[in-house]
Amino acid sequence: MRLQKILSGAMLALGYFAGIAGAQIKIGAAEALTGNAAQYGAPIRRGFELAVGEINGGGGINGQKIEMVIEDEQGKKEEAINVFKKLIFQDKVLMLFGPTLSNSAQASDPVAQSAKLVVFGTSNTADGITSIGNYVFRNSVTEADILPVTLRMASQKTGLKKVAVLYGNDDIFTKSGYDNFKKALQDLKIPVTTTETFAKGDVDFKPQLTKIKAGNPDAIVLSALVAEGAPMMVQARQLGITLPFIGGNGMNSPRVFELAKDSSDNLWVGSPWSVENPAAENKKFISAYQKVHTTLPDQFAAQAYDAMYIVAQALKKIKLTGKLEADRKSLRDALPGVQWTGATGPFKFRQVAGRDGKPAGYDAVQTAIVMMTKSNQYVIQK
Amino acid sequence: MLAQQIVNAISLGGVYALFALGFTLIFGVLNVVNLAHGAVFMIGAYAALKAVVVLQLPLPVAILVAMLVTGAVGWLLEKFIFAPLRARQAPHLAPMIATIGVAITVTSLIEGTFGSENLRFPAEVLPAEILSMGGGAQITWLELEIIVLAFALMAILLWGLRKTGAGRALRGLAESPKAAALMGVNVEAFFRVTSILAALLGGAAGVLIALYANAVFPHMGQPMLHKGIAVVILGGMGDIRGALLGGFFLGFAEVLSVAYIGSNMRDAIAFGLLFIVLLLRPQGLFGHVAQRRA
Amino acid sequence: MEWLDSFWATYNTLVLSIGTNVLLALSIYLTLATGLLTVANAAFMGIGAYTAGLLTTQLGMPLIVALILGSLLPAVVALAIGRPTLRLSGVYLAMATLAFGEVVRILILNAEGLTGGALGLNGIPQLTQWFDVALAVVLTLVVLLRLARSRIGRTMAAICQDEIATEIMGLNVRAYKLFVFVSGGALAGLAGGLNAHFTFFISPNEYGFERAVDILAMGVLGGTGSPWGAVIGGLLITLLPELLRGLGHYRPLINGIILILIILYSPKGIWNLFRPVSESTRLPAAP
Repeated sequence: MRLQKILSGAMLALGYFAGIAGAQIKIGAAEALTGNAAQYGAPIRRGFELAVGEINGGGGINGQKIEMVIEDEQGKKEEAINVFKKLIFQDKVLMLFGPTLSNSAQASDPVAQSAKLVVFGTSNTADGITSIGNYVFRNSVTEADILPVTLRMASQKTGLKKVAVLYGNDDIFTKSGYDNFKKALQDLKIPVTTTETFAKGDVDFKPQLTKIKAGNPDAIVLSALVAEGAPMMVQARQLGITLPFIGGNGMNSPRVFELAKDSSDNLWVGSPWSVENPAAENKKFISAYQKVHTTLPDQFAAQAYDAMYIVAQALKKIKLTGKLEADRKSLRDALPGVQWTGATGPFKFRQVAGRDGKPAGYDAVQTAIVMMTKSNQYVIQK
Repeated sequence: MLAQQIVNAISLGGVYALFALGFTLIFGVLNVVNLAHGAVFMIGAYAALKAVVVLQLPLPVAILVAMLVTGAVGWLLEKFIFAPLRARQAPHLAPMIATIGVAITVTSLIEGTFGSENLRFPAEVLPAEILSMGGGAQITWLELEIIVLAFALMAILLWGLRKTGAGRALRGLAESPKAAALMGVNVEAFFRVTSILAALLGGAAGVLIALYANAVFPHMGQPMLHKGIAVVILGGMGDIRGALLGGFFLGFAEVLSVAYIGSNMRDAIAFGLLFIVLLLRPQGLFGHVAQRRA
Repeated sequence: MEWLDSFWATYNTLVLSIGTNVLLALSIYLTLATGLLTVANAAFMGIGAYTAGLLTTQLGMPLIVALILGSLLPAVVALAIGRPTLRLSGVYLAMATLAFGEVVRILILNAEGLTGGALGLNGIPQLTQWFDVALAVVLTLVVLLRLARSRIGRTMAAICQDEIATEIMGLNVRAYKLFVFVSGGALAGLAGGLNAHFTFFISPNEYGFERAVDILAMGVLGGTGSPWGAVIGGLLITLLPELLRGLGHYRPLINGIILILIILYSPKGIWNLFRPVSESTRLPAAP
């Protein structure tokens, strides 16, 4: 078993490094490799590396191998801008992935847009990103698309009549999630008993949870990342709150089982990716990932992995002339038409409107899988 | 709900007080705003976690291990940073900036070694039984332990400072290092002891709060540092009782503002209160007269 | 020339950041040189950034107007809170200004309708050109260097050394303190406005504790003996992460170590190492 793991790791590494040796297609990635957001940037990087290793190991794209240039944007907006500029003007990449946080994307994506090369986010779900322009792409499905599906399924199965809402009001991701939750709740005509907030880095949620408990809701709708969400679930159970939690895709991570252990049951999330999804492509991805990293992958890794394959499909269709500007443009033109079934299921793009009403960037179109946690597993609900 | 919120306030206050004790000690005696206290706190949490998970030690032993590790860090801080700066007659801001550098370095070391993801203590280790108190309120054993510990530590420290010779020397030192030296107090040794002691307290706080929140991650010291500064100002910088009372005051202010005003204004109220207290009573609610430093 | 174009395209944000960071360092130099430990400049920067950003995005005002108003508003706020706050001294002043900064940040966060709250202010036009920043820095530097040698500058240093003695000599200490506090606020606001217009997007969390600590570090590391210290501090703090980029994962680690080493070996700041010998006969200005 060990030997097998070493061999697979070696093969992947060979495939990856072979890419560097016969360096031909330069793809950049700006992700948070240090700092607070590194817990998301790290799995994203692993997803990219896995995909690149496989693609290069299979002969590359039209005979050319991919060379990845990964830079650390530290989860900070100014760094993201600097790193983007370095990748675009100094390394002269063909396109680039990232950044990790929606916050950074707002600042750095315009740089790619005006430089006319594709920027592809795999973890940016907040509003206002793809509307920046027609060179901005993402395969991370927005909360606006997933949450209504999750809510509808959860309310169907639990018969909930009213909910309480808890969200992080100082982070663009959780705040954006909240805005979408609010709208979905209004559309479904589900009344809210109370809305409470917390800040990133908080460790104590008992005051908010106590207030929520007093309002007697049937479920708690949560816009948070696992780092805060898991302690929240633990503390809620400690206070005697047995209600279901309904989360945004920030809560879709197997880490919730480690972090919330006995209190992790009864959490509803929707996402295009589920570790339990038995589809063949997903199983292939999960076992390939586990061979190298032993742990299970999460949504961040899955989306990064698929994103690389999506770009690979577009690259297959175009002919690279070696003239940077022209190549960057032909990649951008080939990308919207790509349809791909990867670990996150069938995927295609959908163009959105920019702030001025004209057609701009491209969001993801994927179906959400709704899951509920039970005994340390995400159980798919139908 | 009120009963539970009061319980919440007391246990949150206990958490803040624990952190603030070490922080205020360094300011009171060494006159340094130790912005590395958050990092020390975080090291305590990691040390205990690894002691439990890797060395398979029982929790109380792990806490002692954590305190040993952080005590060593406190010693290092004093020996390599505070003492040299004092010897060089550095402006009084310099040590503070140095501690910022220490905090960055240490946090990055831990992040590089253990990764940036949240880790947690294994469930078996946590004293998680829940007790019911009157009025529908519930509290866990752990929270009770934290509150009791905060009070106990304060009591021990106060007793030590008032009743023992060493304690009196320390208080004299805090007032005036020169006078204490003239009285034969080994100033350098006492500074070292203080730094170690403060770090011990920080480490203990780190473990307990890591258990409370069940989250251990490299940047966990940062938000605590903000709150710690607020507590110490409210209570009076350098004042032990102030750290405790300030901690509870902040705990109550935060919880009650969430319960009755709105959770999004929680931090604004906490810091707004701080600002007002400073304007009206700069020495803090319980501190002694502020030293005018022009 | 192609080399220059490529260099500028890659590094223009960095160069502009150096400029605004130098302005920020100069803003805190003013108060530090007077012996005031105020750390509200991050909040003033935020107020300036949002003011200028909102004026250009919502009202379409030209940059220069937005910048002027973006420096005025923080100055007014500084004036308002300065009077009561500056009665404090030492660490208490620092904490009061820190608390004030947090309150400002949270107010901006919660004023969603106006500022966009956590979602930030988006789509700020890229109006800042290198000559705007260069002009601001050069002008400020010239003014402050003049100031340092003038009677005002000597009074600042005197207050720093011994406030009570200065008061006894008949100088209106309170007025001087307010003057440096308000000017510092205006400078920080200007830096904020300039910065907002080359980064597209601003959010409340950028103007909190971390930024306040950065600004303080710039002031102290560079040295408070002269405005040149601020220039050094601004340069250092901006360039250091960039220079260390090759170290990848170890970057913050080395960053922290360098900070510690600098303070240990030159506690009065780097400028102190370069001070011409003749100046050492003057009264030391570091607090």
